[in-house]
Amino acid sequence: MMAYHFGRGRARLSPYFFLIPGILLYLIIALGPSLATSVFSFTDATGIRGAPIHWIGLENYREFLLLGQASRDNYAALGRTLIFCFFVTTIQFGLGLLVAMLVNQRLKGTNFFRTLYFMPVILGAVIQGLIWSLFLYPLGGPMDQIFEFFGKRSEFFGGPASEAFGWVIVVQIWANMGTTMVIFLAGLQTIPDELYEAAQIDGASGWQVFSNVTWPLLTPSVNTNLLLNIIGSLQAWQLFLVLIGYRNGTQVLGYLVYAQGFGQTSGSMVNPFRQGYAAAASIVLFFLVLVLGMVTQTYLRRREERILG
Amino acid sequence: MRKTLYSLAILLVSLSMVLSACASQATPSPEAEVEAPPEETMEEVTLRVLVHQNPPMVEFMEAFNQKFMEKHPNVTVDMSVVNANDLATVTQTRLTANDVDVVDMFAFTNAALPYMKNVEPPNWQTLIEAGYLLDISGQPFLNNYYPASIADAGTYNGKVYQINLGTVSYSGIYYNKALFTEYNLAVPTTWDELVTACETFTAADIPCMTAGGKDGWPIFVGAYGLIGSLYPDQAALVEGLWTGSIKWNDAKSMEMWDKMKVYAQNMMEPGASGIAGDAAPGRFASGAVAMFSGGTWYAAAIEAAEPDFEWGYIPFPGSDNPEDNKYLFGKYDQGWVIAANSPNTEAALMYLADFSEPANYQEFANTVGFFPTQPGATLDTQIGQEVAPYLENFRVGYEQYWVAPKGAGQYANPWASYFQPFGEFDDAQELADKVQEDLQSGLDASQ
Repeated sequence: MMAYHFGRGRARLSPYFFLIPGILLYLIIALGPSLATSVFSFTDATGIRGAPIHWIGLENYREFLLLGQASRDNYAALGRTLIFCFFVTTIQFGLGLLVAMLVNQRLKGTNFFRTLYFMPVILGAVIQGLIWSLFLYPLGGPMDQIFEFFGKRSEFFGGPASEAFGWVIVVQIWANMGTTMVIFLAGLQTIPDELYEAAQIDGASGWQVFSNVTWPLLTPSVNTNLLLNIIGSLQAWQLFLVLIGYRNGTQVLGYLVYAQGFGQTSGSMVNPFRQGYAAAASIVLFFLVLVLGMVTQTYLRRREERILG
Repeated sequence: MRKTLYSLAILLVSLSMVLSACASQATPSPEAEVEAPPEETMEEVTLRVLVHQNPPMVEFMEAFNQKFMEKHPNVTVDMSVVNANDLATVTQTRLTANDVDVVDMFAFTNAALPYMKNVEPPNWQTLIEAGYLLDISGQPFLNNYYPASIADAGTYNGKVYQINLGTVSYSGIYYNKALFTEYNLAVPTTWDELVTACETFTAADIPCMTAGGKDGWPIFVGAYGLIGSLYPDQAALVEGLWTGSIKWNDAKSMEMWDKMKVYAQNMMEPGASGIAGDAAPGRFASGAVAMFSGGTWYAAAIEAAEPDFEWGYIPFPGSDNPEDNKYLFGKYDQGWVIAANSPNTEAALMYLADFSEPANYQEFANTVGFFPTQPGATLDTQIGQEVAPYLENFRVGYEQYWVAPKGAGQYANPWASYFQPFGEFDDAQELADKVQEDLQSGLDASQ
């Protein structure tokens, strides 16, 4: 039996006192604002301190989910969020795995390529946006010239919503693929070389080595990446702000929350700040992330137990 | 144990002090006494000024700040510049954080009118009601401005909170005089003439029209003349839309949508959506395009980009009847407000007073290209001369009146940018029906 190291009697409680600062910090910085958001979602708060706040019950939720065409636009944004999540997660996951396997080879220059692929991650959303705005500049930018070579034209981020939305998916993957790659790379490097040698001696093909050795032993990395990709893409909004701004047919829920909370601007019209309404939208987003996150996590945990025991 | 409890008590006291410090910012006091003390008694102060990105204005403000600091050596001006699209957010954030003294704020517009139901009050109204803007009623420098501009753009519930610095028009087109001469084209006064001019330029491989479309709105703002030629009384247009006497898909409005499609697809240059707002004047001044649909505030930037470039400015001819095209639509533009919480109220009032001196204001109007809101001032620049014939027909535009009902869909506005290649729509009737449907949905929900 292990000895208890914190004394006897009342002294046994001392670890809990040491935990208090951390818990208070968590309450103030993380849980507090989250709870406040859920309370604000039942008010008409504007976010302007000192402005009167009224308790309006479920009105924000009614408006978000049921009121007129705006609510149907919100459902469209919800659908778009799921589409964004699906494409970003699957492509980023696949590309990240592929690139990690490539830069895990014992070849010259792998460190350079690891750095190169990871570099976009360390750039902020504004820099990422600037790079891609220049790359996709529709009046003679590099991609415009490639399009022109094939006799095509595009406004890229300024074009029809579906097209602009597709380009944001591309940028999101480019911006975050490095993280996926690094997690896979860390996982690949934990797989003992002996297993590969044994498989080769047994005459396993490349695919058999991957499917029977690499893939099962990468399970923890697979789980981590899937969860991070799903949650990250569901919450995405910064690139939408930087690359597109408030454009019909392109909003995802995360951006909708920002636009409603801080008054999207159109021409010289600045819509009122509606942080109560934005809080309701963010609660809807929270439940979406929660449900998808929990379903995914449950599935992945069972899969991990099945594979690794 | 006593030590543990003692430590815990210290921790809790420290925490409460931190929280108190966070919460101890003064309650807004809009009714604060604002009488300025004699300047010699004033301490050293840093006056925090917030303006939006508008290159000529920023240039003027930097020079003005220098002069102001020389005149008032105890004041240091710390000016921040933000993108126009971010101004409202930054203003709200910095006002509530008590981190700013003087703010460049757009005129008080988009008020909820009696016939509008179920709408949110505009931000400026909320800021005033929350006590963030200083009541500057009775300040001597207000007398330098047209009473109408003070009343229309800076007054709420009988109190003055803003001095408005000028009006601008956004429904005109800059045209390249050399290109029009080279191709023997008359300056268009009707829609047909505009279409012909564009066809001529396009055939010569010269883009007809450009705009700073990266910011989104410049693409559709240029086409305000199309709305204006049909609905010259834009306040009545907004009321008609709210009351149902005007619909965006009725026969009259369809004429507008058909022309907007031509504007978006045949007149605006491909790629315009990538041009930043402050880069568009330079592109026009380079001579690469024949016309530039945009506001009068771009004139100074065009001149700065290419001083010898010859250009003119006309109202957007949206109708085939020249009489319908004589209107310029626009707005009261920016103004100055003072933070009610400002610890530097005296310096802020001096700043506004100095700015409002006729000589300084005259220089500001000429630099920025605003139509003056001071009676003695004139717009002596080229844009002033270009616009002078139309000023008697200046009208406040739709954007300044429109407030969307809750529940309205995202397409409930008459924007040309909904058309391909900038938007999804190719069919004018389909778009008109969608716009009306989105608006009607909000109107029905607000009943």
